[in-house]
Amino acid sequence: MKTKQIALSLLVTPMSILLMGTLIPGLSRAAEINYHHVHITASSPTEGIKWYMKHMDCSSIPDRSDAADCGGVKIVFIPQPTMGGTQGTGVNHISFSFPNLTTKMADLEAVGVYGTGVRLQRFADGSTLQAIPELFKIGFIFDPWGTRIALVEDQEYLGFHHIHLSTVDPEATLTWYQEFLGGQPASLRGQLDGLLFNDVWMLASKHTEGTPAPTKGRAIDHIAFEVSDLDLVTEDMREGGVNFTQNPMVPEEARTSARRAFITTADNVKLAIVETGWAGIVTNRVSSTESNTLRKQYEPPMTPWAEPDIQGVWTANSAHGIPLERPNELLDIEKLTPEEAAARRERRTLGSIWGYEREWRDTTLGYVKTAPSTQVAMIIDPIHGRLPARTKYGKAQATREHEERARIDSRPPAGPEDLSPYVRCITRGLPGMMMPGVYNNGLQIVQGPGFVTIQKEMIHETRVVPTTQREPLSENLKTWLGDAQGHWKGNTLVIKTNNFNGRAPYQGSSQNMTLIERYTRIGPNLLEYQFTIDDPLIWTSSWTGQFIFDKDDDQYELVEYACHEGNYGMTNILSGARAKDKEIAEATR
Amino acid sequence: MPGVPRATYLPYPFQIIQGDKKIMMVYGFAEASRTVHMDKDNPKPAPIDSWMGRSHGHWENDTLIVEVEGFNGQAWFDRAGNFASNTLKVVERYTPMGINTIIYKATIEDPNVFTRPWTISMPLYRRLETNARVLGFKCVEYSEDLLYGHLRRNRTR
Repeated sequence: MKTKQIALSLLVTPMSILLMGTLIPGLSRAAEINYHHVHITASSPTEGIKWYMKHMDCSSIPDRSDAADCGGVKIVFIPQPTMGGTQGTGVNHISFSFPNLTTKMADLEAVGVYGTGVRLQRFADGSTLQAIPELFKIGFIFDPWGTRIALVEDQEYLGFHHIHLSTVDPEATLTWYQEFLGGQPASLRGQLDGLLFNDVWMLASKHTEGTPAPTKGRAIDHIAFEVSDLDLVTEDMREGGVNFTQNPMVPEEARTSARRAFITTADNVKLAIVETGWAGIVTNRVSSTESNTLRKQYEPPMTPWAEPDIQGVWTANSAHGIPLERPNELLDIEKLTPEEAAARRERRTLGSIWGYEREWRDTTLGYVKTAPSTQVAMIIDPIHGRLPARTKYGKAQATREHEERARIDSRPPAGPEDLSPYVRCITRGLPGMMMPGVYNNGLQIVQGPGFVTIQKEMIHETRVVPTTQREPLSENLKTWLGDAQGHWKGNTLVIKTNNFNGRAPYQGSSQNMTLIERYTRIGPNLLEYQFTIDDPLIWTSSWTGQFIFDKDDDQYELVEYACHEGNYGMTNILSGARAKDKEIAEATR
Repeated sequence: MPGVPRATYLPYPFQIIQGDKKIMMVYGFAEASRTVHMDKDNPKPAPIDSWMGRSHGHWENDTLIVEVEGFNGQAWFDRAGNFASNTLKVVERYTPMGINTIIYKATIEDPNVFTRPWTISMPLYRRLETNARVLGFKCVEYSEDLLYGHLRRNRTR
């Protein structure tokens, strides 16, 4: 075997993990990389580090906001859209070893998935871990970004334990990594043949369904090996018949001067060979900015019938995570840093989707979300960014609603009516339906002479708004989304809506609410959205919120969100509630 | 959602909003809507099957021709349960007969279900009430008992 200065690292995207290992004794200097800060576009390294620190016992690294140290192996997170989890690719999972796996699994199970994204994979008998004779106990979980993780109890190798390849020919694969990348052949407890890179294993199993899917774009995008002399290594590889998908070079748009080369193995595993660091992935989606100067300067295109043209497909992904009210700890902050904004959106995502699989996210389809907004809070009036005081009636009403909710929540739901109109697939109400969420954020606007249609993907509602004065509805006729009347004021579409039935309130609004919305195209790709809620029954003054929709025609199309037709969740919630009823009845008998 | 062409002959109003790039058809029933893409020279197939299908339109003289494909095959033609499959293709023709009338024709083609294409035709009349508008017909509440009545604490079905 040739002696090369090689360290093993593993790149898991988005929220990608670059394991920069000091894996071969004496090579620590090779692993000391000048790593430039990675620009965050799609996800948040901060949240990735937090997750691996909290659940995998990794630790933070001083001066590094993109990496965690997992027992000698660094994990570097690089934001990039994902095309799915690890399973089915040539890198099936990574593994961590804990001294007491039974306790660890119980802890993880107790943590639950809400807000943490810890998802446990159960064995056929429902258990979360099994003992493999002569080897160790093992259980599987997934991180929130789709990386499958094997947890093992191997006292000899604690911490980061192994990378498990899925390959058409395990024996040949291990030989290849041994020959070209310097892994040391060894036998794990005399049971499993593998390679050791310092004290981290590489194992390989037979891929049973044809050739593995490419790792490129998946949760683990590629495995990166860090070398001290890239030319030497690539020369040896070329002599050995290895083809490079990218020859050693510093890409034009790279953020560091690191030279790197890429290979795709026979099992479609993307490998990077990096000399002095890895530059991350650059995406060009613009960040939405809140700018009054833009609005003054920009003259939007006009429709053939001479109205400002705000048509197209817009998304509010950049605004996802902006809280309605300014948090107390951010009273003096004008705006967040991009890193803080990315972390905030990722926290909101994890909090919203519980333990949904990575594949659930729309970025699975290769969709690139616009960079998160740095706006501190939605409310711009009152100027302190908090809701105005409630009226006496408003306070009493809030108490009544709170008590009613507590009463309903004290027992499992009796029927669909105990759940919100959103869960029932009726409506998100107004302005609730305009608010950004974790997915399906599409907004399509189509204009015709005299009318503007505003279609929201979630949960498929289309508002038809007249822009010439229409005879208003009788005040006796109340509906879920009210009665809208629009007009153009300069370049701004102003929509006034009332006649709400009050059954899908926003922040406790009543059916007397008057909603004023203002849509202003403040740039070719920026649509400013303002909503003013005037509800004197509830609040002592009106209040206004604001965020930006980003034009997204080039990559996004609204899907038909057939919410009610696919609401299997309701059946599951109610059948679960009846089972709970039964449990309670039996316990109290 | 009612599917096409059933959405057209349901007894609830719908509105056509005619833009320069897209035409929206907004139905009250079940909040269904269709985007008729007038700006796609080479229509791509629907990215995913849906209840209302994917609509591409063009003009032939005064007639708006809309080709609809990409159905999920779950919608019915009527309450009797006449059906089509996901290979359904509907070609609609909207021809104005005057300021307040459109003649609507729809040719239904589905080799998996029907031995040959067939066509329906009917007039569509403009609503002339001064306060006419499409009101949201939220059908969820009407169907919850059928779908979930057996799962209520006090069963209704």
